[in-house]
Amino acid sequence: MMKQFLTLLLAVVALSVPITAQAAPLRIEITEGVIEPLPFAAPDFVPENSAARQLAQDLAQVVADDLAGTGLFRQIPDSAFISQISSFSSPVQFADWKAINAQALITGAVNLESNGRLVVKFRLYDVFAGQELGGGLQFAGTQDGWRRMAHKVADAVYSRITGEGGYFDSRVVYVNETGPKNDRKKRLAIMDYDGANVQYLTDSRSIVLAPRFSPTGDRILYTSYETGFPRIYLLDVASVRRRVLEDQTGTMSFAPRFGPDGQTVVYSVTQGGNTDIYRMDVSTGSAQRLTSAASIETAPSFSPDGSQIVFESDRSGTPQMYIMSATGGEPRRISFGQGRYGTPVWSPRGDLIAFTKQSKGRFHIGVMRTDGSEERLLTASFLDEGPTWSPNGRVIMFTRETQGAGGQASLYSVDISGRNLKRVKTLGGASDPAWSPLQN
Amino acid sequence: MNTGQYISGIAHFGLIGWALIGGVFQPAPEPFDVTEVSVISNAEFEAMMVPTTGPSLETDLAALTPPEPDAVEPAAPQAESPDPAPVSAEPEQTAPPPEPETAPDVAALLPPDPPTEIEDVAPVLLPPTDAPVSAAPDTSPAPKPRPVPRVAPEPVAAPDPEDRTDDIAQDQAVDDSTADTQQDQQDRTVEEEAATEIVTEAEQGASHAPSSSARPRARPVQRVAQPEAESTTGTQDAVRGALAEAMAAGEAESPKPATPSGPPLTSGEKDALRVAVQKCWNTGALSTDALKTVVIVSVKMKPDGSPETETIRMVSASGGTSGSANQAFQAVRRAIIRCGANGFELPSEKYDQWREIEMTFNPEKMRIK
Repeated sequence: MMKQFLTLLLAVVALSVPITAQAAPLRIEITEGVIEPLPFAAPDFVPENSAARQLAQDLAQVVADDLAGTGLFRQIPDSAFISQISSFSSPVQFADWKAINAQALITGAVNLESNGRLVVKFRLYDVFAGQELGGGLQFAGTQDGWRRMAHKVADAVYSRITGEGGYFDSRVVYVNETGPKNDRKKRLAIMDYDGANVQYLTDSRSIVLAPRFSPTGDRILYTSYETGFPRIYLLDVASVRRRVLEDQTGTMSFAPRFGPDGQTVVYSVTQGGNTDIYRMDVSTGSAQRLTSAASIETAPSFSPDGSQIVFESDRSGTPQMYIMSATGGEPRRISFGQGRYGTPVWSPRGDLIAFTKQSKGRFHIGVMRTDGSEERLLTASFLDEGPTWSPNGRVIMFTRETQGAGGQASLYSVDISGRNLKRVKTLGGASDPAWSPLQN
Repeated sequence: MNTGQYISGIAHFGLIGWALIGGVFQPAPEPFDVTEVSVISNAEFEAMMVPTTGPSLETDLAALTPPEPDAVEPAAPQAESPDPAPVSAEPEQTAPPPEPETAPDVAALLPPDPPTEIEDVAPVLLPPTDAPVSAAPDTSPAPKPRPVPRVAPEPVAAPDPEDRTDDIAQDQAVDDSTADTQQDQQDRTVEEEAATEIVTEAEQGASHAPSSSARPRARPVQRVAQPEAESTTGTQDAVRGALAEAMAAGEAESPKPATPSGPPLTSGEKDALRVAVQKCWNTGALSTDALKTVVIVSVKMKPDGSPETETIRMVSASGGTSGSANQAFQAVRRAIIRCGANGFELPSEKYDQWREIEMTFNPEKMRIK
């Protein structure tokens, strides 16, 4: 009896399944796509008063330049526009923007108030989805800070489309170089990431090297030959006041870099012909020696969490990269390729290490994972060196020097995929760049 | 006689005197350098002796910012100090290394080798211990793509400058009153130039030439057929077969979701749809996190092959954060809408089969190419 009941139950279930099942959709898997710049339209922002007319054009152009400069976006020229944006609050005619294949549309408005306060607002649209991408945003500030506001708009657009933070509202400190190679004048300079708003932080009476930003961007460490020997200085960006950080008689100190806490500094000290890595608490001045090998250890760089340090050492016979605990200890080698590796810098994301590589007579900027795997060389030239990461870890800036007596140093940037290699606009020669974090 | 001696004596004295006075034995005067000097006062001399003082450690921004980049600094030129850092990456010296001296040819001077006896037994060629590895490629390598701003599954040659680039390539169509079927006038469009992978600057000069010559291959070794080991797998195969049959029977009995009526899409039709969508799936502007996210989307289709855009929804996402899933979904949605705007090429008689489509977008191959 029980068996018959179970059989009947199973039959009912079996009959009911086809009735309740949904029609199965067609399933396909797509594993390949295209990698190309995303076309966007950025018409002039709408001036809300006559005083803002020029600013409206300039702001839109800076936003467009920021986005197009990444290599991830392509600006559609104004001449291709079918419809115009005459009012910030008017509905967008998506069909007109679809027709010119604009996949993103940026609209904005600018108001320059009588008290000099500048207000910038913008909206971003996904044209093919026919909807706004995120909400509208508004920035306010002084008129002389209009470029920063444009960079902030571009950062917001970049972030909403790519899903990662931007890097446009940031600055770069570097060594400005003038004069011939045998009599080169060097001084520290700071500029916006795109080369605008250059200011000089030191004069060129003594040679300066390797400036590095603090994690908050308000202080800079650098090396100067002011006393005839290299010494590390700490400079306050706002006041341009500075002080010697490490001044031990009979030693040379150089290659400083901040830790993520902004209080700890790692650097190299040469004493008695041996070079080792030290760390120092900036507030107390107490120093701790981290390496003690007879070889040369230099170019230390903290991991973003501050727990580890990557550095360069020739303990194996040739310069290679090693990682050790931030408090010292036995290092492990991570570079094993042919050639010489140097100037390692940990990515702000923590996943990659950028480096300079010399191999077969050429210099390269490359990246590898922190375990030494997946090494990729991004550039190749007569002399590339000194990489620095953008705040979002997507772009690397470095120094490229041309060959010959008339060779000049310039700044270049490249995407971590190896694409979009381009020269950064600077006044005169430039070397040793260091990228700041995003400004507040 | 005396007259002759007098004349001779006078002539000799005259000659000797001319030689001494006329400068025959005096060296030619050497050229000399002239150095201009200037007279300085005591005050200027004292000023020169004062040691120069270093710049003040505390400087004011206003005092430092005015100099223009091209302005000449008033400070005396300084010799460039050497870099203190143990330089690991210095440019190579441009001076070429000296050529090694060639040894003189002394073959003619050396005595000939003494004659040696030749063995009657021919030498046996021993096979190399290691299998020879040929450094030369057996086949020519595939041509390296040139760096172009676009990466696509299929390489596309650079279009003619007069052609308009578009996502979809199409031929030109003009008005033709004599044609049986009239077609709207349209311009010729071609796809934008594309490579199949990202080519970095470091990879552009890569050479395919072998770096070392290969050892000659060994002669093939005569292989002797090995007696087959007694098969012990017969019973195992039988068990596997029985299990597979049993499982297949079980699957056949298990309930399946209902399938749409009509013939299914062929693999070619599915591939055509896949290619059409992937042409517009642009991952170039996605974050690295979004490129780790696999997104499954569902879309309902109109009978003309175009998607109902408002029905595009994300079924699931895996491998990334919620934020990266959203960015990945936006890129996917743009791809479906853009390339489906004119309708995908799907067989209308099989509409029931593609009325609803579920697409899995896996960007694993798109991360670094």
